[in-house]
Amino acid sequence: MIEVKNVTKRYGKFTAVDNISFDVKDGEIVGFLGPNGAGKSTTMNMITGFIEPNEGNIMINGYDIAKKPKKAKKQIGYMPENIPLYQELTVKEFVNYMAELKLVGRKNRKEEIEKILEKTGLTEVQKKLIKNLSRGYKQRVSMAGALVGNPDVLILDEPTVGLDPKQITEIRKLIKELGKEHTIILSTHILSEVSQICERVVIINHGKIIAIDTPENLEQKTQEKNSILLTVEDKKENMKHLKEEIPEIQSLKFIKDNEDGTKQYMVESEAKIDLRKKLFEVLPKQDITIFELKKAENTLEDAFISLIDETKTQEAQEVKKEDTKNEEKNSKKQKQHKEKEDSKNAKKEFNKQKEQKTKGGKK
Amino acid sequence: MWAVLKKEFKTYFLSPIGYVFIGLFLAMFSLLFYILTIYSGAVTYQAVFYNAVIYALIFIIPLLTMRMFAEERKSGTEQLLMTSPRSIVGITLGKFLAATLVIVITEILTLIYLGILCYFKVPDMATVGVTMLGFLLLSMAYISLGMFISSLTENQIVAAIVTIAIFVVTWLLPNLSTSFLQFSLFEKFYPYVTGVFPITETINFVSLTIMFIILTIIVLKRRKLVK
Repeated sequence: MIEVKNVTKRYGKFTAVDNISFDVKDGEIVGFLGPNGAGKSTTMNMITGFIEPNEGNIMINGYDIAKKPKKAKKQIGYMPENIPLYQELTVKEFVNYMAELKLVGRKNRKEEIEKILEKTGLTEVQKKLIKNLSRGYKQRVSMAGALVGNPDVLILDEPTVGLDPKQITEIRKLIKELGKEHTIILSTHILSEVSQICERVVIINHGKIIAIDTPENLEQKTQEKNSILLTVEDKKENMKHLKEEIPEIQSLKFIKDNEDGTKQYMVESEAKIDLRKKLFEVLPKQDITIFELKKAENTLEDAFISLIDETKTQEAQEVKKEDTKNEEKNSKKQKQHKEKEDSKNAKKEFNKQKEQKTKGGKK
Repeated sequence: MWAVLKKEFKTYFLSPIGYVFIGLFLAMFSLLFYILTIYSGAVTYQAVFYNAVIYALIFIIPLLTMRMFAEERKSGTEQLLMTSPRSIVGITLGKFLAATLVIVITEILTLIYLGILCYFKVPDMATVGVTMLGFLLLSMAYISLGMFISSLTENQIVAAIVTIAIFVVTWLLPNLSTSFLQFSLFEKFYPYVTGVFPITETINFVSLTIMFIILTIIVLKRRKLVK
């Protein structure tokens, strides 16, 4: 169980992490998402006790990391970003050192190290120097270092960066397996990874949490339109009149001509309405042959981008609003009038987005 | 502490640094032995060698200390160290004692020369013992200073050069004015060579060592807030 309460971290005037709070329950795998420089690593470094927050506290299994560092740190296995390792040690020596650092008793140490080397697939290379290993193996060594001592909580900072596809699936499998016994926080910017592994997602941008939810919910929530990809043979050019036949269609976009004479369209409707059935019924009557009909899924990528953009435009508008306010004071009456209207519009839009966001949060 | 000590000590000898340090030290010691004993024919004792070799120490102690924290910081392994349940005090002491252990081993190796001397004439063993102890205390003060400098930077070369610069300044300052004698660690080493155990100087070395160890711990603790 990890509890992060009102944590803030400032570097001089720059606020890297701004008053964030979230919980991770026992046995849960939580994904930490955000663009570069959003504060992911800073947050992880604070959870592991590597850096101290300016405000707020962090509890690991009930131990405050600032007040009882020894007990709290014993619960954590940390795999930092950029996989720092002691290059001059062999794999086994490294894992052994980590075991010693983590207060693993002498009795069980040998047994445990062997178990972990096997779990991470390192048994064959255990006598090799770390500096001679490939990136994929180094990643596993780092993982082994985090696993040693059997900590309840695992913090993995970008565990699959720089791996080949096969290694990525291996590591993911391992993480999923570990998720059965451990509480895991993992940061990444590969979104498919999150939807595959994680039960919950925390999206963070500019040091603030902008969403916490399951990947599925996030995908649905940000879905404003229902889009269908349609490939048809339309010799009589009847597609133009489709909108009249099916009034629910919001827009009908032509995408491309295919070589075999078929055409591809994007049909959009409101999120609640599924047009697939209707299309199948109506199109043959219009002498249009359906070659392919596919619902365009809203992915986590879309959700992520729309959420990040939302905060961006909000911030931009806040700045704009302030600017317009200042200008208002100085400008002449005529100008003032126009400007007012502008800011009104901006306000409207801002409120609209705010509404959407709060709606999303309530869900 | 023991885990860090063990690993750090091992690392000195996994990399060439431990061998280079001991090699350089013994090479200079041998040269002095040749010049003073065999070439000039004077039968002299261990203390004199130590008295001469402390100047060499200025340039080779940074070999042991420069990488202590600078390298960990640069390669990011400090994240592993600092997020482990080990305390900062334990980590610092572990590293400090590992370097001290290298000095102890070097001193043990110099006993070869004492053995050769004993073949001709047995020197005053009390003097030899006090000198060697003084040498160890001096080295510990140097190591703690070097360790402190290493904790301030992530560049090993910078750590080494700054350390050497500080040593050289404290060595040469008394030439400017005798009031600077207080800062010269060499001046404090001379009494040991006479064979009488000097309490004042010992307290001086020990407190200097403790001071720099504490400063290192403060730097590491503060980094948690600043980093």
